[in-house]
This record gives sequence, structure tokens and C-alpha cells, in this order.
Amino acid sequence: METIPENETQTAAPPVERLAYSVQEAADMLGVHYFSVYRLIQRGKLKTCRALRGKLLVPRAELLKLLETE
Amino acid sequence: MNYYERPTALQEQAYAEARQHFAEHLNQFKANCDAIHNIESNLSAIANDAFRAALQSSGRVIQTDDGTQWQHAVDLTKITSVCRRRTSAGLEFAVVECLPFKSGEIKDVLNSGHDASEVLQTFARDQRQVLNLWKNDVTAQVREHLDEKYPHQDMSIVVESFDIKLARDISRRESVAQNQSHGVRI
Repeated sequence: METIPENETQTAAPPVERLAYSVQEAADMLGVHYFSVYRLIQRGKLKTCRALRGKLLVPRAELLKLLETE
Repeated sequence: MNYYERPTALQEQAYAEARQHFAEHLNQFKANCDAIHNIESNLSAIANDAFRAALQSSGRVIQTDDGTQWQHAVDLTKITSVCRRRTSAGLEFAVVECLPFKSGEIKDVLNSGHDASEVLQTFARDQRQVLNLWKNDVTAQVREHLDEKYPHQDMSIVVESFDIKLARDISRRESVAQNQSHGVRI
């Protein structure tokens, strides 16, 4: 009878992909300064949504779209 | 802090802690306000430099992502520069941004026109809008941070003081620039 190797049972779950990122996180992902991300938002090149307290969030889909376009 | 309402000891402590937590944001914000202020203060000189550069044919060629070719004239920031090109309608100036994404560089025309001074004024005005967007986002981040760190405590006076500080950084420089831009001609 086959048994599941111990190390497989202890493997951590794959990281869950976030739906949206803060401006700082988006800047890190794009590799630019966050002022550049605010510029992209102001020009309408990156669409955002807002968290409960008004903090800007960049949807993951928007980041991917921008990276694919560019 | 707000001058009209005396903050409690806890609010004072939260303010000091948040200043430390957001120190990098605040420093970066001020540095960018200063950079835009410098552009606004030297607007006519930069426009003159761009115009002089246009009279010469030197300057590296930059092809923007829309396929247009420009010649570099003057650097504005690390990633933005004034460029020019000759068209059938005469000289055209543009502020071009070269964004070094991890996936590759993008080159975008932020704004363009036939008057270098107007192009720079539009750029500076747009950058102030970006600063306002940044200010509102930092204020929201401060609110979020304080709500998490000091639950069920009224920290609105602390959030407000951050908002006022950032707004002053923008408006002080804006008013100086407005005073200095009177009579600018090229």
C-alpha cells in the first residue's frame, strides 16, 4: 500500500494571489517609485479602487494588463 | 497638530508614532513638492533652454511608445524630460516620461504643444494633481494605521493634522510658483 511521503503532507499551501495591492506594493511589482504609480493613476493608465478608509488599491488585473500592454 | 482643539496624551503619542512610521512617505512627499516647486520657479529658464536646444539639431533621439520620434532637450526629473520635434506646423515640445518597468522601459508623452512654456505649466499643474492624489492616499493610510493601532480611539485630530501638513506642503509651493510665474515670457 502506498503511503504519502511525510514531506508532502507538510507542504505549505501555495500562496494565495491577492486581488489588489497598495500603491507601494504596485510600485514594487512594477519596479518603479510610487510617485510614478500615482502618475499612472492620475493619467488613467491604472484604474484603482478604494479600501474602506479611502486607501487606494490597484487591482491585480490592472497591473497585469499594464505589464502586458507595455 | 490642530490648533483649535488640545490633543490628549494618547493622540500626541499616536501622532509622534505615525510621523515615525510614515517618515519615508513624508520625506519623499516633501522632496517631490520641492522638485515641482523648482520646475515652477525656473519655468521660463527651462522653456528658454528647450527653445535654444530646438534651434540646434543635437540631442539624443527618443521614440515614444506611440511611434513618434522626439529629440531630447532638457531633463526635468530623473525620468521626465522636455523633448522637441519639427512638424509641418512648426516646432512641437513635449514632456516625455521614460518609466523603467521591470518588464521593460515605457516612453510616454505626458503632454505636448507648440509653446514650451505652456507645456511646462501644464506639466507642473498635472504634477500638483498627482501630489493631491498622493496626499489623500497617505492620509487614508495614516487613518488605517491608527485605526489598527489604536482601536476604538478617536484619532481624527491626528489624521487631520497629517492632511493639513501635506496640504501646506503643496499649497505653499503652489502660491510661491504662482507669484513667480507672473510675467513669464519666452
